[in-house]
Amino acid sequence: MTATNSMPSGILMELLRAADLTKRYGEDAAIAGVTFVAAAGEVLGIVGPNGAGKTTLLEAVAGLIAADSGGVFWLGDSLPPSRRKAAMFYLPDGVRPYQDRFTIEVLNFFAGVYRRPRAEVSRAIAAFELQPVLRKRVSELSKGYNRRLLLAIGLLTPHRVLLMDEPFDGFDLRQTRSIIGVLRKAAGNGRTFILAIHQLADAERVCDRFLLLAGGQIRGLGSLRELRTRTSIPQGSLEEIFLALT
Amino acid sequence: MRLPKSGSAYAAPLRPLLAKELTEIASGRALWTMLLLVCPLIGYSFVQAVSLYSEASVAALQSPAAAATLSPLDGILVPTFGSFYVAITLLFPFVAIRVLGQEKESGALRLLLQLPYQSSTLILVKLTAVLAAWAVASIPALSALVAWVILGGHLAASETANLLLGHSLYGLLVGSIALFAATISDSSATAAIVALAATIGSWVLDFTLAGRSGLSAWIAQLSLTQTLRSFEQGLLSAGLVLGILAVVGGFAALSSVWLPPGIPMRAKFGRSLLCALLTIAALGLATQVRTSVDVTEDRRNSFAPADQELLATLRLPLVVTVNLAPEDPRYIDLRCNVLGKLERAMPNVSIVLVGSRQDVAGTSDTYGQIEYVYGGRSDVSRSTSPREILPLLYALAGRQPPAPVPGAEYPGYPLIANADATLLWFFCGLPLLIALAWWRSRQPPTVKSLAFEGGQP
Repeated sequence: MTATNSMPSGILMELLRAADLTKRYGEDAAIAGVTFVAAAGEVLGIVGPNGAGKTTLLEAVAGLIAADSGGVFWLGDSLPPSRRKAAMFYLPDGVRPYQDRFTIEVLNFFAGVYRRPRAEVSRAIAAFELQPVLRKRVSELSKGYNRRLLLAIGLLTPHRVLLMDEPFDGFDLRQTRSIIGVLRKAAGNGRTFILAIHQLADAERVCDRFLLLAGGQIRGLGSLRELRTRTSIPQGSLEEIFLALT
Repeated sequence: MRLPKSGSAYAAPLRPLLAKELTEIASGRALWTMLLLVCPLIGYSFVQAVSLYSEASVAALQSPAAAATLSPLDGILVPTFGSFYVAITLLFPFVAIRVLGQEKESGALRLLLQLPYQSSTLILVKLTAVLAAWAVASIPALSALVAWVILGGHLAASETANLLLGHSLYGLLVGSIALFAATISDSSATAAIVALAATIGSWVLDFTLAGRSGLSAWIAQLSLTQTLRSFEQGLLSAGLVLGILAVVGGFAALSSVWLPPGIPMRAKFGRSLLCALLTIAALGLATQVRTSVDVTEDRRNSFAPADQELLATLRLPLVVTVNLAPEDPRYIDLRCNVLGKLERAMPNVSIVLVGSRQDVAGTSDTYGQIEYVYGGRSDVSRSTSPREILPLLYALAGRQPPAPVPGAEYPGYPLIANADATLLWFFCGLPLLIALAWWRSRQPPTVKSLAFEGGQP
C-alpha cells in the first residue's frame, strides 16, 4: 500500500503521511478522515480546543490506539502500527514516569536503552535546565520540571519524528520561549515535531505549519500565510483564523 | 533515513531494562511491607516447629525405631515454609502487580511500550524481576534454615533444594498470574482482586473438592495448592515441573498478547485462544512425563534399595487393577505405599481404577480387591502394604525376594533444642535490617553517577 496523495505546497520532503485516519468510540467519531503530511525538519502543530481529537490523532499515528480506518506512511511506504515505534516517539500528556525513582535515574534509563552517550544526556540536562532536580524523585517534581523531564526523554530518543501532546503545559512565558528555542534548534538539525497544542499563541510561536482540528475533523491545514490567504484575513493571528474556520 | 525492517531490528540492551525493573520493584513499598510481615510469620512457625520436633525427639532418643520417623523435612522445613506459602499466596500478588500496575497508573507504560523491545521481552524481564522479588521475600525463610543448622539441626541438601525449587516455582506461578491480572486490569486494585480470586479460589477449590472422584477430582487437580505437595513429600517430578513452567509460560504469553495497545480486541482474543490451546497442549504433554525422583534422605517414596534394584529388572508390563473408589482411604494408602513407588521403580506399570463411590456402600464381594497381572500370570490381594505385595509380585515374576541390605536404614535426626531465642531475630533483628535496607534503597544516587550532571561529557 502506498500513499498517493500529492505533496502540499511548501513541503520540501515528505517524511510521514497520515491518510484518512478515523477513530470512533461507539457512535461518536473522535477523529474522522484526518489526512496530513509532515516533512523532515518541520514543526507541525495540531491545534484545537479541548475535545477536538488532538490526543486521539497523535495516539492513532503513534500506533498506541487502533484506528478504525486509514493508515500511516513513512517515505511513501505503509507503516503498520507494530513498526511505528521504530519511526517515531510519542510523549503523552499527563505522564509522570517512574515516580519513585530519581530524575537522573529516569534519564539514564532512557539513555541506556538507546545507547546514548553521556555527553548527550548532559546536553539534554543542560538544555532543559534539569540540574537542580536530578537528585529529586519524579513524584517530587513540579509540573513544569516533570514536563522538562519528558521533553528531555524525547530528545534522548534517536527517532526522526517526535510527537508531543501539550509540550508547553505548565510553563510560564519565559520558560515556553526557552523550550521553543530548544525544539527549534532540534528541528533545525533535521528532527520533525508534531505538537498537539491548545494554546494558539504558543502554537503560533513554534510551528511552521498548522493542522486546525475541531470535532475530530480538519478545518484548516497549512502555514500561517496559507491560512491567512484561505480565510482572507491578511494580518490575522492564528486565533482569528481558527475562529474564522471553526 | 530508511526505517529499520522492524521494531526489534534495533538490538536494544536488556541490562538497563532489567536494572529498571529491579529498582522499580525495590523502590516500592509492597516488597518491603511483605518482608516485614513475613518475618514474624516465619519466626513463629519455625519456633513452633522446633518445639514440636523437640517434644517428639525426647521419646525418639530412647528408641531407634522412633528416631527413624523423625525427619527435618516433615518436622521443620515443611511447617516453616508453610507460612511462607501463605504469605506468597496472600501478599506476593501485590508485589508482582506493582511491576506493571505502577507504570499503568502513572502513564509510564505508554513510554515503555514505545521502547525498542518486543512485548514478550518486556513481560519476561518483568517476570525475572518478580522472581528476584520472590528470592528477596524468601530471606526470612532461608534465615530460619540457618537458625536450624545453628541449633544443631540436620538438613539434607537434596530435599531442601527440592523444597526450595517447589516454592520458587509456586512463587513464579503466583507472580505470572498477578502479572497477567495487572495486564488486563485498568488499576492495581482490580488486578489484586483478580489475582487473589485465583489464589484464594484455589484454596476453596482444594477444600471443597478434596476426596472427590471423577470431574471434581480433575478440577481439584487444577488447584495451585497441588503444585507444592510433591515437593513437600520429597519428590522431584519432571512432569509437575514442566506443567508449572507451561502454565507460567501460558500466563506470560497471555500477558504479552494483552500488553500492547493499538491491537484490535478481536485479534487479541484470537491470539489468547491460541495461547490457551498451546498451554493446554503443553500441560497434556507434561502429564505424560512420568519421570520422578525420590530426593528424600529416608527414601520414603521408594522401596528398600534391594527391592528397587530387583524391580527395575522386571521389564514386562505390570497391570494393576484396583477395585477401590478414589476417595477410599485404602486406595490413598495403596497409592502412597505401593503404586506410586512401583511406578517409579518398574519400567512398565499400568494402573486401572475400576471402583467407584457407589461400590463403597454396595455389597459387591470384589470391592477392595487388587489384581496384579505380570507376564501372563495374575494374583489378587486386598493388602495395601508393600510387605505383602512385593512378595506377591516376585512370585508372579518367578524371582526370589532380595536379601535386605544391612546399614541402609534411615537413622532419623531427633534433636532437642529451644528456638525461643530466634524470636529476637525474627521479631527485631531481621525487621531492623529490612528497615535499614529499605531506607538505603531510598537514598539519592551517589555522586559518581551524577558526575556528568554539570553538562560536560
